[in-house]
Amino acid sequence: MPREPLRYRYLFEQMVRRELRQKYKGSALGVLWYLVNPLVLMGAYTVMFTYVLKTRFEPPIHDYALFVLVGIVTWNFFQQAVLGAATSLLDQGALVRKALFPRETIPGTVVSVQLATFVTILGLILPIVVIVHGSLSGWLILLPFYVFALFVFALGLGLGAAVLHAYFRDVAPILGAAFLPWFFVTPIFYRASNFPGAAHHAWLKSVLRWVNPMAPFIEGIRSVTFDGAWPGWATTGYVVAMSVGVFAGGLWLFRRLAGELAVVV
Amino acid sequence: MSGDSVDRARAHESGAGNRRAVRDSGRGGSGTVELPVEGDLAAGTIVLEEATRRFSVRADRGRTLKEMLLRRNREDDGGPAPVTALRDVTLRIEPGETVGIVGRNGAGKSSTLRVLAGIIPLNRGRVSTSGKIVSLLEVGAGFGRDFSGRENVFLNGALHGLGRREIEAQMEAIVEFSELGHFIDAPVKTYSSGMFLRLGFAIAAHLEADILLIDEVLAVGDEAFQRKCEARIAAQIEAGATLVLVSHDAALIERTCERVVVLDGGGVSYDGPCGPGMAFYHELMGTPVAE
Repeated sequence: MPREPLRYRYLFEQMVRRELRQKYKGSALGVLWYLVNPLVLMGAYTVMFTYVLKTRFEPPIHDYALFVLVGIVTWNFFQQAVLGAATSLLDQGALVRKALFPRETIPGTVVSVQLATFVTILGLILPIVVIVHGSLSGWLILLPFYVFALFVFALGLGLGAAVLHAYFRDVAPILGAAFLPWFFVTPIFYRASNFPGAAHHAWLKSVLRWVNPMAPFIEGIRSVTFDGAWPGWATTGYVVAMSVGVFAGGLWLFRRLAGELAVVV
Repeated sequence: MSGDSVDRARAHESGAGNRRAVRDSGRGGSGTVELPVEGDLAAGTIVLEEATRRFSVRADRGRTLKEMLLRRNREDDGGPAPVTALRDVTLRIEPGETVGIVGRNGAGKSSTLRVLAGIIPLNRGRVSTSGKIVSLLEVGAGFGRDFSGRENVFLNGALHGLGRREIEAQMEAIVEFSELGHFIDAPVKTYSSGMFLRLGFAIAAHLEADILLIDEVLAVGDEAFQRKCEARIAAQIEAGATLVLVSHDAALIERTCERVVVLDGGGVSYDGPCGPGMAFYHELMGTPVAE
C-alpha cells in the first residue's frame, strides 16, 4: 500500500468529485433530498411527543421540533457515513482488484462526501434554529470543532467497518441492525436527564451520557447551536479522546488487513 | 522519464537515493525467505525471488462472521485445497526487456502481473521493482460512468499518483492518441468496449512508465488501433521502459516480445528467447503451428 498521502491527494479530490456527481447527478437541488428524511422524522416525533403522548420534558424543551431536528441531522450524517463506508470497498471492487493506490481513499471519500452533505444541511437549518429559538451565541464558533471531531470519529469507525466487511460480508447488515436501537438510546429526541428514571437514578443518566459514544457528540453539537451554551469540559474532552482513539484504532485495523483486499473483495 | 519509485505495502526503502521498492511477503515470521539483495536496481528492473502465492478457492469458506462462529469447532469438510497460483517463481527482468508471459488458463499469468503491480502480496518470497509502474490490467477499472472521457483521464491519472498539472500537460496527446474526437466529452457510459480500450490505453501510454504491465486487454481494439498501441509500446521500450505482457495472442507476443516466460501450474517451465519459447508453448498446449 502506498503511504504517500500527498502524492495521492489529487486522487482523493477526484474521487470526492466522482462520488458527489454520482450522488447528485449534477443537480444542485440534490442535497435538498437529504433534508426530507430529517424533516419527516422531525414532524413525526414532534406530533408523537407533543400531541399524542403529551410528554412533559423536565425542564421543558421549547421549540421541540428544532431540538429534534438538530439531533436527527447529526445522527443521519453519522449513520450514513459509517454504513456507506462499510460497503464502499465492495462497491469499488473493480478498482481495488485492479489498481494500486491507498485503499483508505475509498472509505475516506464516502465519509467526506457525507460530511459535505451534513455541512450543507447545517447551513440551511441552523440559521432557522438560532433565530427562531433565539439561541445565537458566541459558542457557535465551537461548531466546526465538534463537527470535525464527529467526522474523525465516523471516519475511524468507517475505516474499521469497511475493511471488516470486505472479509466478513455480514458486518454491514449487523451494523445496520445495530444502528436502530443505538438511535433510540442516543439522546436525540430527549435529553439524557429526561430518560425514564434518570431523574432519580444518577447512574442511569451517566450511562446514557458517557457509555454511548454518540451521546456527547450529539449533546455537544446541540449545546452550541440549539442551547447556545458551552457544552462543558467533560463533553469536549470526551469527543476529542473518542475521535482520536477510534480513528487511530480504525486506521490501524484497516492497514493491518488492507494487504489482502485485492484478494478478498 | 520520471524515476520515482512506487512505494509498496511494507516496502522498505533502504538508504537515501535508493529507488528500489522491496516487498517482503508474509508478516515476518516463518514464511519469509531472506535472500541477498543486490545493490541499487536500475529503474525498470523487476526481480521476483521464490515468489509463492496461494489462493483459497473454497466457495463455502466462512465469509461471514456468523459462519465463522458456527463452523469454528467443525473440522474442514473436505473442500478443494488452496490453489497455488505462483510456486517459487524466480525471475529477473532488466530495464528495456520485453517479456511475454504465456500459459494456459489458470497458469498464474494474471496473478504474476498483479503481484508485480503490488496489488497482491506474496505468501512467501520477494518481489522488488524499481521505477514507475503503469499497469493496464483491466480497461476502465475506476472509470466514473457518468463522467466524460476527459474527466476520466484526470481520475485515471490520479489513480496512478499524478497531479492535475501533470495530467493537463498530457491531455491533448491522450485525446489525440485515443482518436475519440468529440466523444471525449461524452459520458463514458455511452462508450463501446473498443472506445473504453482506446481511452484506457491512451492514458496508460502517456504516463511515462519505467515498467509497463499489460494484461490481455488489447484484443478488443480494432486492428489499426492495436498496431498503433504496439508502435507506442515499442517507442516506450526504445526510451528504456520494460514491458511485461500477458496474452493468448501468439502473434502479438511474437511481434512485441523478445523474451517469453511460459508458466505452467504456477511455475516457470520455460524462460528464454521468444522463438523457441513459443514453440515450447505450442507444444505444451498441443497446438503445434504448421509451417
